[in-house]
Amino acid sequence: MLKVESLRAATGGFRLRDIDLKVGEGSCHAVLGPSGSGKSTLLNAILGLLPLQKGCILLRGVDITHQPIERRGLGYLPQRIGLFPHLTVLGNITYSARARGVPAEKYQPLLDKLVEATGIGELLSRFPDTLSGGERQRVALVRALASQPRLVLLDEPFTALNESLRRELWWLMRDLQSHYGLTVLLVTHNLEEAYFLADTISILIDGEIKQSGHKSEVYSHPATSAVARFLGINNLWDGTIIGQDDGALTVACPTIGVTARFPGTMNPPAAFSPVTVGILAEHVSLRDAAHPSKPSEHVLTGQIRLLDCNGRWLIQFHHDSSPLVLDLYAAQRTVDAFGLTDGQTGITIGLPPSALFWMPREE
Amino acid sequence: MVLAVYGGLIVSLGWFLELPTLRLTLASTRTLFSIQLSLVGATIAAFLAILLAAPAAYALSRYRFRFREVIDTILEFPIIVSPAALGAILLIFFNNPLGEWIQDHAVRFVFTFAGVVLAQFITILGVAVRLLKTSFDEVPLELETVARSLGATPRRAFFTVALPLARRGLLAAFILSWAKALGEFGATIMVAGTMAMRTETLPIAIFMRLASADIEGTVALILVLVATGLAALSLSRWLLGKVAHA
Repeated sequence: MLKVESLRAATGGFRLRDIDLKVGEGSCHAVLGPSGSGKSTLLNAILGLLPLQKGCILLRGVDITHQPIERRGLGYLPQRIGLFPHLTVLGNITYSARARGVPAEKYQPLLDKLVEATGIGELLSRFPDTLSGGERQRVALVRALASQPRLVLLDEPFTALNESLRRELWWLMRDLQSHYGLTVLLVTHNLEEAYFLADTISILIDGEIKQSGHKSEVYSHPATSAVARFLGINNLWDGTIIGQDDGALTVACPTIGVTARFPGTMNPPAAFSPVTVGILAEHVSLRDAAHPSKPSEHVLTGQIRLLDCNGRWLIQFHHDSSPLVLDLYAAQRTVDAFGLTDGQTGITIGLPPSALFWMPREE
Repeated sequence: MVLAVYGGLIVSLGWFLELPTLRLTLASTRTLFSIQLSLVGATIAAFLAILLAAPAAYALSRYRFRFREVIDTILEFPIIVSPAALGAILLIFFNNPLGEWIQDHAVRFVFTFAGVVLAQFITILGVAVRLLKTSFDEVPLELETVARSLGATPRRAFFTVALPLARRGLLAAFILSWAKALGEFGATIMVAGTMAMRTETLPIAIFMRLASADIEGTVALILVLVATGLAALSLSRWLLGKVAHA
């Protein structure tokens, strides 16, 4: 298990502030954040390239904060892969064994299994500059895993690949991770990659971890509007706490005209505190005579401002009687069933108040 | 245009070129000694310069430390100060107590072959550092980080990753330093003087011939120097090509 406690580090004018991170043994944790949020700085600190101002890094209970890189037991896969161009594939994947003086009979069985699992057996005598992008990734993966690391660090290694190859390698990585019980820390700005590979995620913004937890929990209940916006949630509006009773919170959101109750709220803010209210685009539904709204749903009528297909359909809804703009997603069959077109008017949507979430408003 | 300038200057030597003089000059023991002295001296100086420059260049390329800029500027010293001034500084150094002690108890440099090598070495050291730093800059630091994450010590990462990947630049730096040492004149004449059959390198021999108004002999020696330099540079280009494809 990797445990990062109260880590503080600085590089140039940038600072990482009190980073706490836990990666369970045999699990994959993703640190997500926009460019310039400090992901690489955090990775450099864990790698041992950046001295800490405060805090410690524990790996399987051993404090590695002051250990040199070569003794930390890490497998590192950088963004640009970092295959040694002057060595063959075989030279690359056996580098760790040679560097550590491990005899061939000790590392060969694992190496053979990894070579077979990744299908690079035909490439062993070739040099990296003769390999395709996907082949290089596979070789780099084998090289990192052959060193039997206690923690695998992935620094957006699949970013430069095309969509299909990236997905293929995500599957490979996931298979290897579950098969060998690898503990993985993935650093990425790609939400899809993080959701696919990781069990838990942390959102890093401006050098601070804003939220950590299971990926579905973080996505459905973002802790701050900055986290929500980073996760691609645009349906966020101002609200006010108008009541508190028995641990339940009543929040009014005049923009969408909804008053919602949130039971079981821990440490609720004071009454009349400003909050941000949101709903995931996935939870908003299209309604018409054939698909009537549910009694509990809040219904709005408006027009389609944007209809865009990117794997699934993104619909931008513009409310008729207010400046409210709201995102929702729909499958192809839904778009067909409703006969949706760009700019179409008379569109009805339903918002279930139970799907709303709230967070303290940030200044 | 550039080719015309240099080519024209070399061709113009033909005006004073006399084949019998050229033959005689080439066959003379003094000329052969000068060639040998220049080649051996330049090779030793270039070798020593690269050996000393490599760690300095690597440190400047890889580490950010206090006074790095100042050190970087000091390393430019042999580039901005004229070779004659460098030679004079060396000569003055060997006349202070420490320099005299070195001369008396270690190696005698003034007016000796060691002085020739030292003068050439001092002149090319800055260039060697500059060229090697560029070579190390071109090797991504990330590769050494990966090597270390795979269990290599910093020393092993240097010798198995940084150095092999910088080998082309290393060879180029050696050759350019060597060529500069071969043509070195100002510092050499200050430290080692102009003693025939002792410290008379090819550039000094050219100066001596010209000083005695022997134009034909001067032309012959210039051609020898140009031919030696061009042959060495062609060899180096060929070697660089081989290294690049290795």
